[in-house]
Amino acid sequence: MDMWRKKLAHWVRYLALAPVLLLNGCSTSHFWLFDPKGPMANADLYYMVIDVAVMLTIVGITTLMIIWFLWRYRKSRGKGTYDPKWSHSNAIEVVVWGIPIIAVAFLSYYAIEGTYALNPYDPTVIKEHTVAGDDPLEVDVITTDWRWLFIYPKYHIASVNELVVPAHTPVYFRLTSSSVVNDFFIPQLVGMIDVMPGMRTKSALLANHVGEYQGFSADYSGAGFSWMQFRTKVVSAEQFQQWTQQIQASPRQLSYAAFNEFAKPYIDVSGKPEYFSGVQDGLFDHVLGEVMNGKVWPLPMAMTENMVDYMKEQNARTSTRTSN
Amino acid sequence: MLVDLQGPWSPLLGRLALSQIPYENHILAPLFVVVVILGLAIIAAISYFGKWGYLWREWLTTVDHKKIGIMYILIGLVMLFRGFMDALMIRTQQAMAVGPDAPGYLGALHGYLAPYHFGQIYSAHGVIMILLAATPLLVGIMNVIVPLQIGARDMAYPYLNALGLWVTAAAAALVMVSLFVGDFSHNGWFGIAPIFELSYSPGVGVDYWMWVMQLTALGSTLGSINILATVVKMRAPGMTWLRLPIFTWAAVASNIIALTSFPALTVALALIGFDRYLGTHFFTAGLGGNLMLYTNLFWIWGHPEVYFVILPAFGMISEIIPTFSEKPLFGYVTMVLATFGIAGASWAVWLHHFFTMGAGPAVNSFFSVATMLVGIPTGVKVFNWAFTMYRGRLRFETAMLWAVGAVFLLLLGGLTGMMLAIPAINYMVHNSVFVIAHFHQMLLVIVYAIFGAVTYWWPKVFGFKLNEAWGKAVFWLFTAGSVLVFVPMFTLGFMGMTRRLDYVFNTQWQPLLDIQVLGIAVYSLSVLAFVGMLYVSIRDHAKNQVSVDAWGTARSLEWMTPSPVPFYNFAVVPHINARDEWAWRKEHGFTDLRPDHYEDIHMPKNTGIPLILGALMFLLGFGLTWRIWWLCALSLALIIALVIIRSFDSDTGYTIPADEVERMERGHHERARAVDLPAAGVLGGAIAYGQADPAVKGQGAALGGGMTSPEGSRV
Repeated sequence: MDMWRKKLAHWVRYLALAPVLLLNGCSTSHFWLFDPKGPMANADLYYMVIDVAVMLTIVGITTLMIIWFLWRYRKSRGKGTYDPKWSHSNAIEVVVWGIPIIAVAFLSYYAIEGTYALNPYDPTVIKEHTVAGDDPLEVDVITTDWRWLFIYPKYHIASVNELVVPAHTPVYFRLTSSSVVNDFFIPQLVGMIDVMPGMRTKSALLANHVGEYQGFSADYSGAGFSWMQFRTKVVSAEQFQQWTQQIQASPRQLSYAAFNEFAKPYIDVSGKPEYFSGVQDGLFDHVLGEVMNGKVWPLPMAMTENMVDYMKEQNARTSTRTSN
Repeated sequence: MLVDLQGPWSPLLGRLALSQIPYENHILAPLFVVVVILGLAIIAAISYFGKWGYLWREWLTTVDHKKIGIMYILIGLVMLFRGFMDALMIRTQQAMAVGPDAPGYLGALHGYLAPYHFGQIYSAHGVIMILLAATPLLVGIMNVIVPLQIGARDMAYPYLNALGLWVTAAAAALVMVSLFVGDFSHNGWFGIAPIFELSYSPGVGVDYWMWVMQLTALGSTLGSINILATVVKMRAPGMTWLRLPIFTWAAVASNIIALTSFPALTVALALIGFDRYLGTHFFTAGLGGNLMLYTNLFWIWGHPEVYFVILPAFGMISEIIPTFSEKPLFGYVTMVLATFGIAGASWAVWLHHFFTMGAGPAVNSFFSVATMLVGIPTGVKVFNWAFTMYRGRLRFETAMLWAVGAVFLLLLGGLTGMMLAIPAINYMVHNSVFVIAHFHQMLLVIVYAIFGAVTYWWPKVFGFKLNEAWGKAVFWLFTAGSVLVFVPMFTLGFMGMTRRLDYVFNTQWQPLLDIQVLGIAVYSLSVLAFVGMLYVSIRDHAKNQVSVDAWGTARSLEWMTPSPVPFYNFAVVPHINARDEWAWRKEHGFTDLRPDHYEDIHMPKNTGIPLILGALMFLLGFGLTWRIWWLCALSLALIIALVIIRSFDSDTGYTIPADEVERMERGHHERARAVDLPAAGVLGGAIAYGQADPAVKGQGAALGGGMTSPEGSRV
């Protein structure tokens, strides 16, 4: 008998793991939010764990209580005493107001702390991880319809659909859009920040692990939105230096005039990276200023009613453009 | 023209041209044929049975709050189905378009919907589900029930009530027309600034969206004025504020929200209109415009709107649970306070819809804490429902299942809502499908409450119960569908998937997207079961007839009227003695509803003007959308003329003489006897209160007959 019980307990322990199997046997890395690769995403997860722990305790107990009431006071064969007049109790009122008030007060503390820790303009999380002598990297991000342009002002280079950053180095972003609003999001590194036309937002990240992470636009921006992804390559400091030199040698230059051509509506289905050298000084501010002065790159009517036709037309258009 | 438009424009047809009819679309063209055939079949059936006169007299021109409510609910159900079809297409498209190797059909690169169509579908889904399904369903139920619960014969403004209905119908018609003429907006139900500007949305889609929203805003504002005036001015004698049924309290709170917040929407949309029609720069990125302004303005309405739809749902749950727990609501006063606490907080939380817009940490912190404060009264509500069931005798009839299901969903919605309220977490899941799953949980609370309320109040309105077995089948299928769709959606949120993707770039998300399609299939079964339930219930309606108190344990005033309720509601306006008046009367033995004497009843006359005004508003919206200026001028002039003409009509009511009322009432009582039901309450002896209290019984007849409110009676 005892053997049985032991065996049963043994099996129950494995049964508890069954839900994990249901997640089609994937590693945690499929859950980008649970697999942070830098202090920003890590802090996001930390606050999530605190909040879920507090709320799940309350919600879980309440759920069990309600289920118990449902069972005990069911009309057919329920064991509870029926008290048709009972509808008030000061003690219970105090408890039902008290529990949510205490929980909200407790969580408010962490909410405010977290808001400052992860303030995209000046995240204290990154400051804590920065050591003296660290030379932060600055990257200017411009979204167009529908591509990502990353400008490295210090190196006068730019890349499209690919963000390359050195590990263990704080990276500070300035972001703006030439068309509509996008959301800059690299789930394993940094949370979302809106990228808006005629406005400049900021964000920052610090990557602890060399690797490749998915970045993409999280806010609908029109026909090409679903293809607005960029690869985030976190590389070593040496590799990063090599990369910048390599790009500095690339033949294509990016002046504002070239950007003007680049920013025309283009659905980037292939997501292939492109590189520019000789990026005009202050290009980011120039684009920002132009958009504030009313510059738009308008869309044609009903542009993707038939996506296949649209792609043919776009390919034709871009091939003539490059041959010119 | 004040702005440069792409494409042709003519004075006669505006931007409308034959090329705007999507007859080559493989989904819309067959659908159009089906709609035409269905429409012709309905017209033929009405003509064949000679029901046009009946339809005109009894429905189209009615000002009866119950019939108007029923028509609201019909619009809501039809649009709920339309919104569901949109959901079905969204889910199947996403499951079919995973990864670069996914095949494409019908002109799409992957799946079968190109971005142009996909964008319109999810935008229409949102607009329809919130403004043309949930809102009409809730407004319809409030329309039917609130006057009955406070002992009124109709709304304060019956004509305005009909006008609100037909304006809403015009909005629904406009959104349906956008399927077959032109296109709909593709920038989400809330409008993403600045995509709605002419530079990025040169077609008519955004104009359709804008005028649909404007019409529903007008309809909801008219409706909220009416319900507030009705509750403030038309309560039966003795119905003090603290005797108001809890659903009526919820209606009051939610309509205060509507009345105060809808103007913000009207202004925001009007400013978009200026941008698109006059070439101004309110929400453009350049030339002094500010797109953040729109987002703020929209959500200053948008968040209160969310509570405008959830508070009546809470009210419904608060009515259903006591009836099937066979005891009074726990903590009535707390419940009212909590309702107004939620309503009050709703004005101070709008920024949590865009924590990622880059506001400073002080601003984000304020709105974070304000948002979490909503959790306090909401938590209190859940506890109060739980303690209503405590020491009760719970019967799990279909309505109760829906109510209890809603409570569990609310717990899950609260758990996830508190996560979203914290900016640090929100940065990771804002715009992700986690948010989608969260607010669908909350909207499912509303849907569950609505299905519960429809089941609960159906016998009051139609005089027979819905089939219980089929009703439970609908409940379990719907619940299974919800689990299969939304549990994977929450999971995908943690995996990092974001919303509105026409093409899904990560193949690891495929299995969970497939499970969601399975969920949608189960949802489809629940739709079929719902139709089956209606069919079986109507077929067997003679067997399932009920008397006044259909559930035997109901507590509030509406259960004192005959089922179905006569058009004048109460033959004699009752005097209210207690908070749960009907329960009080059953306890004290005043269940005989025949009054001592009858009085003349003054009722409002039917009028066709609201219907005509609705039709004109549809034409106005259509004309504005397509920029057919002569049509706009004509319909606007006619609207103004009709409103003025109607305002000179002083002959808007009529009187039913007392003997006529008595004759009709006798008919109701005889019918009640004919189906072998007691004239009042106590079906199957469900109420176990002892003998009537002789001291109180001596004071007067049961219904209305001058019985004064005994001071100190249980309230």
